[in-house]
Amino acid sequence: MTVSLNSPHRTTKATASWAVWLGLLPFIIFGLAFEFLPLLTVITSSLTTKGSFTLKFYQQAMDPLFLRSFGNSIQLSATTAFLGVVFGTLVAYAIITTKNRSIQNALTALSDVTTNFGGAPLAFAFIVILGSTGVITLLLKEVGISLYPNFRIYSISGLTIAYLYFQLPLMILLAIPSLYGLKREWHEAALNLGASTFRYWLEIALPILFPALMGEFLLLFANSFGAYATAYTLTGSDVDLITIRIGALITGEVQLAPELADALAIISLLIMIICVIGYMRLSNLSNRTRQ
Amino acid sequence: MKKSNELWRPVVIGLFLVFMILPVIATLLFSVSTRWDHTLWPEGYTLDWWKDVIARREFALTIKNSFLASFGTMVCLLVLVTPTTYWMRLKVPQGKSIIELMASFSFGVPGVVLALGLISFYSNVPLPIINHPVILIAACMVLALPFMYRPIVNSLDAIDFRVLTEASQSLGANGWAILSEIITPNILPGIISGCLLVFSTVFSEFTLTNLLVGTVFKTLPIYLVAFTRFDARQASALAVVSFVVAWVTSLLIIWVTSKSGGETAHIVGH
Repeated sequence: MTVSLNSPHRTTKATASWAVWLGLLPFIIFGLAFEFLPLLTVITSSLTTKGSFTLKFYQQAMDPLFLRSFGNSIQLSATTAFLGVVFGTLVAYAIITTKNRSIQNALTALSDVTTNFGGAPLAFAFIVILGSTGVITLLLKEVGISLYPNFRIYSISGLTIAYLYFQLPLMILLAIPSLYGLKREWHEAALNLGASTFRYWLEIALPILFPALMGEFLLLFANSFGAYATAYTLTGSDVDLITIRIGALITGEVQLAPELADALAIISLLIMIICVIGYMRLSNLSNRTRQ
Repeated sequence: MKKSNELWRPVVIGLFLVFMILPVIATLLFSVSTRWDHTLWPEGYTLDWWKDVIARREFALTIKNSFLASFGTMVCLLVLVTPTTYWMRLKVPQGKSIIELMASFSFGVPGVVLALGLISFYSNVPLPIINHPVILIAACMVLALPFMYRPIVNSLDAIDFRVLTEASQSLGANGWAILSEIITPNILPGIISGCLLVFSTVFSEFTLTNLLVGTVFKTLPIYLVAFTRFDARQASALAVVSFVVAWVTSLLIIWVTSKSGGETAHIVGH
């Protein structure tokens, strides 16, 4: 790792060992100014009242009103993460077992492009197809299924479909390397020993993939939990998700103690970070067991 | 048995394609149809909505603002990330974990929390950037940092930057000359795909813009969301503009990475 080619300079190197850190200074200052200090402000503010330590804002954050927002966010994230994992793995498997290389590459590229596609324009596109006069709504009405008024694109169930648009491609990108870890010989060996393909998946492939799939579930969960733009475009501040609620507190649409918004933000942050760390642990674990 | 085994694949891929492409196509059709709210197919076609949208003064303004934010973020990140990453890989390998922690900040911290933090911190600091495009660019830099950092660090690892550096040093080149004339050209595909990823991320950014500068600095997504509330026709034209920008930059990224033979920097988050 260390550069030891020009050993005559070793003395200067010893004095310069801290000086090389100066090169990272712009980056570190940026991180302090726009990442660390802002976050620290939120943390300390959520824990202090009139200069002394308090947990009262966290107690207030446990109000049934906010618990419902957290509950909705968790439910939406868990549903879209689960559906994303199931369908994403299925599509990824279809992609990697496709014999035509260029179809394979095109589909991977499509997933690559569309993972970044969430947000306002896409949410609007879903109003066009699934709104009360959307093309899919009309098509289903034609065959005798009326979506409205039971389903609304502006509700949690509508958000589930819109969120899948960015969850699914993300899962495909994550699942492709995991699925390549399954060796073809395992499948053949299982078939030779008399197992059906179904039993191979149930008893061999899925248990091997399980840690990776769990990790990917957590990452998709976090991806959806932190999302704001899609929900805001579809529903304004009507839908009761925790990010929407924090957003409304920031813009002043709703007036509450600012420290309460800080406490809600920190709880959301903890949920996100637990998921992301869980993902990293589980993906390391599954990488190691595969080798 | 063989036959039924093969049939599921086109079905799965077909359904996936329909799900991914239908919303985009439908929005495009919607933006050029006279009326499309009670028939299965548009009743007729027109460019009137597009003319209306383009004629508005805000259209040019919001596009200009979106380009400003995207381009500003991209240039600032380029200047911040390229020299630092090279220096870190060359001289301070111990600094890697700190840099990576900062570079992946936006994966763990939701946009609303970042916005809240920036507002609470800068309203108590004598630096007047609240409600100013500068705070938006700073926030977008945090958001897009991993998209710039990843491709650059991957390209650096793919070339033998240490040997290149030592060879140029022995020929008498100084630090900046090495970085700008030797290293940068060699990691150019990584830099370009990083820039494009940053550009498309910021161009479609809504959360931070809405919460930090939504009332004073309107970008295309802000304008689009405001439009969805009262004129879906013209909103659809704006959505198509966003889709086109996103697709064009994405296709450029794919083209650049495939040309360089490198792997696409896989990205997480949206």
